[in-house]
Amino acid sequence: MAFKKRKIREAEIPSSSMADIAFLLLLFFLVSTTIDVDTGIGLTLPEYIPPEQQEFAPMSKDRMAALLINASGDVLLNNEQITVNQIKEKLKPRIISKINLPKKKKLVVSVKTDRKTNYNVYIQVLDQVKGAYFEVRNEYSRETYGRPFKDLNEEEQKDVRSKIPIIISIAEPEAVK
Amino acid sequence: MKFEKKRANAKQEIPTASMPDIVFMLLLFFMVSTTLREVDVYVKYQLPEAKSIEKIENKRLVSYIWVGNDGRIQLNDAIVKVDEIQPLMYKKRVSLPNVIVSLRIDKNSEMGLVTDIQQELRKADARRINYSTLLKQ
Repeated sequence: MAFKKRKIREAEIPSSSMADIAFLLLLFFLVSTTIDVDTGIGLTLPEYIPPEQQEFAPMSKDRMAALLINASGDVLLNNEQITVNQIKEKLKPRIISKINLPKKKKLVVSVKTDRKTNYNVYIQVLDQVKGAYFEVRNEYSRETYGRPFKDLNEEEQKDVRSKIPIIISIAEPEAVK
Repeated sequence: MKFEKKRANAKQEIPTASMPDIVFMLLLFFMVSTTLREVDVYVKYQLPEAKSIEKIENKRLVSYIWVGNDGRIQLNDAIVKVDEIQPLMYKKRVSLPNVIVSLRIDKNSEMGLVTDIQQELRKADARRINYSTLLKQ
């Protein structure tokens, strides 16, 4: 008896529609994706201490840069009235003069606002303060390592950060004259 | 005289065999880079602008608080009152210890409200914050 070899039929998955399916998926991810990066001004708030436990810690005037912002948006830096755009230039020399001092003697920028102060003004002031710190960091990095801050390696960035720490203190709210 | 159109003998086809591969590559890129929109924002707000801004490196750590131009506060997916922020944020902080709170506050808000929110965050011990701003051109 002769066995007839059964012919194998070609088994194929139809792949012509694969592109369509992939396009559909692609479209879904294209639509649902949010590329926008979160940018903003980072800050670490101080620990919460209940009012009855609060102590008054005296701080030498030399260390303090007190920024007061009143309800109409006027800015006072150490009792001297200045405009928002002057803050950066006023702070920079003070930050630079404290680069080589120990950690306990670095500059502290304190920002105090009135309850009625506009949020936008507050952000502009913080922006100026941050800008001053960033510029000083960049200049210092250039002088010591010959590169801007963002091009330094981690070790060097850490060193610059410890030399020029950003200390911004947000004061408890109260009425500003 | 007879005119004859000149025709090239070569096949006129764009090879489409590799199209699925290309599409899949694009698909993969978007799948990896995507973070799905999780919440609807109920408040209207306009962010302030600033120059010296940083990126938040890790999006998964971020928790959002919106403050609209009418003073309403939205925490993650619901409108809340100021005194509800503390318990909610505390729960969040327990599950995610190094949470960053991104404050998306309308630029015409008053600092009084912002300060109140900050006090609540301090009580909840969620102290890493980020004032969301746009880049000033």
